[in-house]
Amino acid sequence: MSNSPFIETIVSSRQDVRNRSLASLCQGLNLAQLSEACAALDAFRRSATNLFERVRAITFLYALHRFHLPPLLGNAPAGRIPYAAYQHLLERRFEEAIDGFLTQASSAGLSEGISSALAQAYYQLAFQTLADQVRHSVRSFAGNRWMFRMGHALDHPLRIAPPLLQRDPETGVRPVLVESTPVRMDLTHSGWSDIFFLGMDYPEGARVINVSIDLAVRGRDPLPQPPVSAFVRVIDEPILRLASIDLGAQAEIDTIGEVFDYARDYLGLLKAAVIASGIVPPGIEGGGQALADLLAQVVGPGCGLELVSHVRGIPKGSRLAVSTTLLSALIAALMRATGQIRALAGTLQEHERRQVAARAILGEWLAGSGGGWQDSGGVWPGIKLIHGVISGEGDPEYGISRGRLLPAHVALGPEQVPPRMRQALQDSLILVHGGMAQNVGPILEMVTERYLLRSPAEWQARQEAGAILDEVLRVLRQGSVRQLGQATTRNFFGPITTMIPWATNLFVESIVAEAQQVLGEDYWGFMMLGGMSGGGMGFMVAPEARSRAQHSLHEIMLRNKAALEHALPFAMEPVVYDFAINEQGSMAQLLRGENALMPGPYYALALPQLLRLNRHTLSAGRRAELDLLARAVRTRPDMAPTAGLLIDALLPANGGITAGGSELDQLLAEHGFDRQEHEQIRRDMRSGLIGLSQNRLPLASEIRDASPEDVLRVPEQDGSLYARGLEALAQGSVAVVTLAGGVGSRWTQGAGVVKAINPFARLGGAQRTFIEVHLAKSARTAQLAGAAVPHAITTSYLTHKPIADVLAAGHNYGYAGPLYLSPGRSIGLRMVPTARDLKFAWEELSQQLLDEQAQKVRESLNAALMAWAVGMGEASDYVDNLPAQCIAPIGHWYEVPNLLRNGVLAQMLDAHPQLQYLMLHNIDTLGASLDPHIVGYLLDRDIRLAVEVVPRRIHDRGGGLARVDGRLRLVEGLAIPHEEQEFDLTYYNSNTFWLQIDALLGLFGLDRGTLRDPAAVDAAIRSMARRVPTYVTLKEVKKRWGHGQEDVYPVAQYEKLWGDMTALPEWQGAYLAVPSRRGQQLKEREQLDSWYRDGSAGYVEALCGWD
Amino acid sequence: MRVTKAVITAAGRQQRSLPLQTLIDSDGHSKPILTILVEEVLRAGIEQVAVVVCPGDEVPYGHAVGSYASRITFVPQDEPQGYGHAIFCANPFTQGEPFLHLVSDHLPIARGQLGCAEDLVQTAQRNDCAVSAVQASRESLLPYFGAVGAKRVANSARLYLVERVLEKPTPTDAEQWLGVPGLRAGHYLCFFGMHVLTPAVMTILGRLLAATPAGVTLSDALNELPQHERYLALESNGRRVDVGSRYGILSAQVALALSGRDREWVLRELLELLATDELDRGHDE
Repeated sequence: MSNSPFIETIVSSRQDVRNRSLASLCQGLNLAQLSEACAALDAFRRSATNLFERVRAITFLYALHRFHLPPLLGNAPAGRIPYAAYQHLLERRFEEAIDGFLTQASSAGLSEGISSALAQAYYQLAFQTLADQVRHSVRSFAGNRWMFRMGHALDHPLRIAPPLLQRDPETGVRPVLVESTPVRMDLTHSGWSDIFFLGMDYPEGARVINVSIDLAVRGRDPLPQPPVSAFVRVIDEPILRLASIDLGAQAEIDTIGEVFDYARDYLGLLKAAVIASGIVPPGIEGGGQALADLLAQVVGPGCGLELVSHVRGIPKGSRLAVSTTLLSALIAALMRATGQIRALAGTLQEHERRQVAARAILGEWLAGSGGGWQDSGGVWPGIKLIHGVISGEGDPEYGISRGRLLPAHVALGPEQVPPRMRQALQDSLILVHGGMAQNVGPILEMVTERYLLRSPAEWQARQEAGAILDEVLRVLRQGSVRQLGQATTRNFFGPITTMIPWATNLFVESIVAEAQQVLGEDYWGFMMLGGMSGGGMGFMVAPEARSRAQHSLHEIMLRNKAALEHALPFAMEPVVYDFAINEQGSMAQLLRGENALMPGPYYALALPQLLRLNRHTLSAGRRAELDLLARAVRTRPDMAPTAGLLIDALLPANGGITAGGSELDQLLAEHGFDRQEHEQIRRDMRSGLIGLSQNRLPLASEIRDASPEDVLRVPEQDGSLYARGLEALAQGSVAVVTLAGGVGSRWTQGAGVVKAINPFARLGGAQRTFIEVHLAKSARTAQLAGAAVPHAITTSYLTHKPIADVLAAGHNYGYAGPLYLSPGRSIGLRMVPTARDLKFAWEELSQQLLDEQAQKVRESLNAALMAWAVGMGEASDYVDNLPAQCIAPIGHWYEVPNLLRNGVLAQMLDAHPQLQYLMLHNIDTLGASLDPHIVGYLLDRDIRLAVEVVPRRIHDRGGGLARVDGRLRLVEGLAIPHEEQEFDLTYYNSNTFWLQIDALLGLFGLDRGTLRDPAAVDAAIRSMARRVPTYVTLKEVKKRWGHGQEDVYPVAQYEKLWGDMTALPEWQGAYLAVPSRRGQQLKEREQLDSWYRDGSAGYVEALCGWD
Repeated sequence: MRVTKAVITAAGRQQRSLPLQTLIDSDGHSKPILTILVEEVLRAGIEQVAVVVCPGDEVPYGHAVGSYASRITFVPQDEPQGYGHAIFCANPFTQGEPFLHLVSDHLPIARGQLGCAEDLVQTAQRNDCAVSAVQASRESLLPYFGAVGAKRVANSARLYLVERVLEKPTPTDAEQWLGVPGLRAGHYLCFFGMHVLTPAVMTILGRLLAATPAGVTLSDALNELPQHERYLALESNGRRVDVGSRYGILSAQVALALSGRDREWVLRELLELLATDELDRGHDE
């Protein structure tokens, strides 16, 4: 076993051996040799005691099964994935899942399906192992351990700091403790090297230059201030009163259980702070204690605490670690209040900062989130180098990982960064928020995976990033912002985008190019902040041009956002900041006497409720506070704006976002919304006649896998078929129909972006959209055949205009052939789901269990969403959002009849009377192309209707090819009565259809003549629609509010799917088994990275003609 | 080193009557708490005792100690400037000599033949350095005591070399600074309310008080002591009772009774009380 070069690479003490890439080890090995390597690695990882060696072996196994083995499987039979092992995977019993998949592989042989399942299981096991280690280290951190031991309120060892209990003799009000904390800006992170896993395995490479800054939004705030504040006060009730000013949420908590219910409201971060600060320590969860008893012990009998968070309008996604900073500020304030930080006011000592950072990591883990170790950098002052530390004796990590969990912070003093450089940085660096707020989590996993695999280009890039950090340190010492800009620009367009291509996007590249052009010589460089670009970014400019540049950058961002807002997920309008370096770090003040008030906006939040109460029911402290507020508003000039806020709060001028009213009604009317049918569906949903469980075929249905002879395989190297197909293409006999009516809600988690025009990847040297790729394939086919390929794109109300605009602006992406847009004629109004359907989706359908804490958060969120659905009214119209987010196309079934109804097919036939076939495919099936082999095959066999199917891999959920009650057909996942039956199916539906036009018309009872008769077409479609089932589905939709905040709600919609046509007796079609690369669909952005790396992207690029 | 002097602090403004509370000592005699403490220090070989008091308490306290009055010097603490200041008030009394120090709101109760103070003084004399009596205590008790971070002295079951002292630490600080090898998780060496202190402690107290006149604790001074001289902690065999706490007097009385000659009689009484109470409850239900 130890002879395996794979294992030698993992265990070697020699750097050059350890840093060999997996790809280099696989070079030239055949299937048997790679299988042998897998067996050796699996045996090794089972016995390895060293955590990181184990994790690296598991990651190797993942990559072998994901990237290296499948291409060698050739024509191996498409294998089945055992359902029992899959269930283990969902339940996070990874070892059992792996054993189950391996047993299947050894009995039935390795297949694409089993390899995909093993890849997923190994991947999840690797990250679970790493997460467990981080959790263990956080819990073992000195100062954190006691919180997990404490199980009874009477054992609570914390006591409130006595000054917080003392009422002011004049006002009767207790003091307010305020913690104000700057956010952190990251000049270079050496390739996301602050990810915990990296710092713990590669502490030498884990380095960042982290600057604490105050912010002001340009045009709104007068001066930069610490963006984040936390307020604590002792109150006269035995409760925790929590309020988030920026999220407009408040709650009075009187049970310990509610403190641990993170996703119930918007106060999850405050609750995490209460727990991580030790006030309600994690050890007490589930112990059935009374919160009042606990508070009596800590604060005093009958007393409680009020905790208020305030982010000064800094939008989400700023990449300045606002949420970690806020969590740190809240924790620091509560630690001061309970004596865990010695001083009630002033700055923190070094060991206290480290403790706050460790608690913030704990809090992030509790709330199911988490970033890197530099995110609490704002707690420290000024500019500092933060670097990983090799673990030593006495560290909880010693003997487990090479590095410590927490890094060391080295303040860069005037010698390392002279005062003039600090000033120059503030004069030249412009911070902006581009408006995009994306989840950076997947990127952090990708970075870790690439690091463990030592992929050559990325490993080289990591070394370059380290060298750039050294260069930045030198430049900071020398004092040149221009050189700094050059270094950070090189960092972004070099190592960062080499390591993770998804760190950039079309919006960023466009604004950088325009800024360069507009600012000319005054443009000095670009800098990405944090995990990815599009949100927080920095531009370096000549200081004298600063003001002009700020204005120009704002204009450039607004313009580009307007151009791309349907194509990319923007959460808000772009903003430009002013900033100042904060040389103090987190600071606290004790507000006493006349000053002991919460910030003005707090009262705008709290007052409307307070005024509804009888004054005599308020506690003496609360009454005194309101009296103090009344005096302050009248007499203190700084409180004048509060008066306005209070009036706004009491007499609101605007009811907020809602789609209700005339705009939505008008839209529905314009787009043929069938109110009668909608009401019928609502009644049926409410009565339980339709719903998720009713989507399913009768339980007695017999569902069997297709046999090998049920599918046809198109010969890949048949010259005569190829020639026949090419000839047909040359005659213009085949057209492409791209289905683009849907928004692709899974692609951006319901952000309402039009997936078809989303620039999703860099292909052929530029960022490309889905439509662009499909047109480039048609262009390449046209070039090959020497004849134009007619190409139609179906649209819906939601997608038509954005697609038409993009095509018009880009001259059809240079596509010279005939291009048709087929506008949708059907529209549905989304509904609030029924509790029954939510329960079915969350409790009866198999769900991937999450890591312990994340699962708790999910369950808490699900309970909140369930309450929301019931509160809003089950099956009521979903109108509490922008109109475009309330309506939906009603499934891709209608996109084909629409071609008939809207006259586009007739137009195509007029223009191309020789047209015989349509290749219909989903927007995200990038490998679908007019392959002459397939065309020739269809003509040769006289196949008029055909569906392409692919070997099912573990991610391919949603049905497939089956014999249902004896009939071979496609069956939707929604319709399969028992989930495990899906795992018996070998083939997955790629949703690529070949439709001979006359056969298609024949299905509808039409022909080329009656196609011109709108009444006949309408009647035919209506009649067919009645025969095709309607499914109720749940989709996610984002609601945006505040400063870049987004909530995701489940909504119900109904749809008909084209695949169900195969169930009709008159559908006499063939099923073509095609390779995965041709048929795989990109449904989620998380798939992109491995699509890029497993050769699929290269396959698609080869099909495209970009010119 | 020979320890002949003792300083008992009894100047707490909130607890002026506490030293006058009468308990039945383990010898079966009724005595004020202050007398019990004085007898404890005399048993340790102490010759002169200073009691730091609130001005005006000299007379009642003098009555309380009865026949021991002649060996006691009352030292008034004019202003309530904290615990450290109270000890420092006895500086003219200790005159640069080492001294035994007890707080008046804690009653030490020996488990063996050797008195708690006697054990401590002997240890200090043997090791020729300052020694604090400590007891391993659960972290939930941290809000009530000073605590030490220390290493075990080789070949000694009960002695520790003190490195750091924190007054009423939070568990967060305790975990970081006060870990002691060999102790159960979540346990720390907390003060017993009894110390043998060297003149260096008075010197440090004097310096700290000059910088910050109020609020200096003994722990602040003891935290500095290891930088200047060897300072040990002795894990006491006895037990301490905080007589100032809720039911503290009751606990102290029961503890004294159970460690003395009336042990069996008191046990019987307690058992009878408990049994009757349980029976009554049973009938009520």
